[in-house]
Amino acid sequence: MATSMHLSKLRKWFLASPPIEMAISKLRELLIGAIRQGPVPQHIAFVMDGNRRFARTHGIETVEGHNLGFEALARILEVCYRSGVKVVTIYAFSIENFKRSKFEVDALMEMARVKLSQMAQHGEILDRYGAKVRVLGRLDLLRPDVLKAVNRAMEMTSNNGDRVLNICFPYTSRDEITSAIRDTVADYSQPLRPRSSSLRTPFSESHIALNIQARNQNTNPEDTSSDIESTSESSAQGEEGAAKHDRPNKVYETGSAFSSSTTLDLAGHQDSTNLKKATQGASAESENPAYLSPETITRQTLSDHLHTKDNPPLDLLIRTSGVERLSDFMLWQCDEDTDIVFLDVLWPEFDLWHFLPVLLGWQRRVSKSRKNPDAEGDFDGDAVGSNGLSDQVLSPSAKVKDL
Amino acid sequence: MDEQIHFVVQLRRRKTSPRKTPIRTFLKSQLHQLTYTLIHIFFGIVVRLVQSYHAVVDRVFAIVYYHHRTPELIRKDVKNLDRLPEHLSVILSLRQEEDSLTILMDEVAELAAWSVSAGIPVLSVYEKSGVLKSCIPTLHRIVTNKLSAYYGSPSQQPTLRLFAPHHPVYQPQDSHSTEKTNTDSLTVLLLSATDGRETFVDLTKTLAEMSQNGKLSPEDITMELVDAEISEITTQPSQTALPTAAGNKTISIPDVSVKPEPDLLLVFRPFLKLDGYPPWHIRLTEMYCTGDKSNSITGYGEAVEYQGFLRGLWHYAGAQMRFGR
Repeated sequence: MATSMHLSKLRKWFLASPPIEMAISKLRELLIGAIRQGPVPQHIAFVMDGNRRFARTHGIETVEGHNLGFEALARILEVCYRSGVKVVTIYAFSIENFKRSKFEVDALMEMARVKLSQMAQHGEILDRYGAKVRVLGRLDLLRPDVLKAVNRAMEMTSNNGDRVLNICFPYTSRDEITSAIRDTVADYSQPLRPRSSSLRTPFSESHIALNIQARNQNTNPEDTSSDIESTSESSAQGEEGAAKHDRPNKVYETGSAFSSSTTLDLAGHQDSTNLKKATQGASAESENPAYLSPETITRQTLSDHLHTKDNPPLDLLIRTSGVERLSDFMLWQCDEDTDIVFLDVLWPEFDLWHFLPVLLGWQRRVSKSRKNPDAEGDFDGDAVGSNGLSDQVLSPSAKVKDL
Repeated sequence: MDEQIHFVVQLRRRKTSPRKTPIRTFLKSQLHQLTYTLIHIFFGIVVRLVQSYHAVVDRVFAIVYYHHRTPELIRKDVKNLDRLPEHLSVILSLRQEEDSLTILMDEVAELAAWSVSAGIPVLSVYEKSGVLKSCIPTLHRIVTNKLSAYYGSPSQQPTLRLFAPHHPVYQPQDSHSTEKTNTDSLTVLLLSATDGRETFVDLTKTLAEMSQNGKLSPEDITMELVDAEISEITTQPSQTALPTAAGNKTISIPDVSVKPEPDLLLVFRPFLKLDGYPPWHIRLTEMYCTGDKSNSITGYGEAVEYQGFLRGLWHYAGAQMRFGR
């Protein structure tokens, strides 16, 4: 034990000596620059697990462990933003975490408050790489002073560039999905404004109907009207039939009765009465509200109601400390095409050296699947790797401009 | 290494072309490209070495641990484990070959036999396209055949139930199944991509319609409601009674109770990707990927192998369970 302590001290001293430190920072720069040359994940999520265990194994306070975790986060954010990642999402606090001891919850809240205001005020990383802070989750569960810090941080960084740091603060994915469903339902139960049919398009249906009538009356019935008549008649029957059947479904088709009764009347003398009837019908229908059809809801609709709606799809999810569970994080987002990586390293120790193999592996897989989208499994590693590279090599001018 | 030669050629050609950006930036970018190339070559070599090592280890495991189609041996292999999953879930993929469906069904049958031998009562099988759902009777026959290879005569076999969401439980009753000496049972649940996000879409549609008709207000939608609705799909098979194979009496099986959340998810692929797996229930599921063995030594990387199954179970038993992270 004692020798290992000495060794680690010696190692620390060695790594902290100026020439070594400079060499390491140069090396980091080189590696990050190299990563930029390949495909880079646009959206990475981290579960920062292991702060408590790190504190326990190193004999320090739990809060101190969380502090070291925050430093690790700053390091990783720098790596991410410098290598071209657009969005970083971190799991800071789960709704379930409120079940922990009051002492720890309070300490975490206090730390979040302090760090958020620090980050917003003189956050070098956020400013240098133009990152916006966004806090996702159930903000209504937060203490008022923490909520104030959250809002302030979001406000102060809102003018930064296109990089985003999502902090999932009191968050669980089930809660997020549920609120997405709730918001979607709420959206769809907002009645459309009355007479929506005329709002949907700048053209007025009655006006079109009148135009058609006028044209039909002007043209010679012999050459053109025959087929017009037949089609319009058949559609008239069809629509009338539909109108009879579809009384309850009428809400989605406010305009149908209107248009059928106006367009299809070829005998000019009934014009005025019919139009009147039609407008009456339309006004009667506008009383029971019209809704968007629920059949138009798709997966995309739900995705658009999640907290991460503006972000690119999640490419990579990394969880540290060897726990191989999602723990209610990004369940919906990582469902499709996300690489999930579990690392056996505690979060405060997490650095570029652990991150690099993950990124390289991702780049390998992506260039492999881009080359051969069907077969993900077996391929000849090195050959494909270099093929993926040659694409990159062939377009150096863009890269140069990037730098 | 011809990519380097290629690279050098590229480099030369580029040097001759006129460039307005400062030379330093240009050199730097070339350095980065070179580093990128070198790192990936190096990384590729390392990955291959690791793969080969794992492939060898796997072969050794496969020799040391082989089930010999004996349930007792499988039981012995998992005897010392602290815990076993009550609900095991696996992600399988349909291959590109001709008889891919046969291979897939055989894999399901093997997994079913291993699971029930190890004492796991529920196995759910996820296959993206949902092809398995369309041939439930055939699959039942194949699994039964596999079980008879493991257990012998039908009376010694465990009870097998097979169902998929929105499908009734398939459990044909044989005429001579009156006294079973084996009281074990296995429920196999077939999942596909339509049971994932699409279910939420359907649920939202229904809820939106109810809300539009004034039967529900959006505030009534809680996590508990969603959980109950989503869980029902995978736990409660459709209650339509189905005619049995032997006598034409109808049976309804209301007592199928499936724990909706899998305890362990085994991914038989080179890397961990969920590929549309139903998202709601994997909140606390341990995930284990059998690993990248796309290697010339083993031939097939993603083959469903007994040692992979067993290692997943070991891994699960060694994991430390903590709620709320």
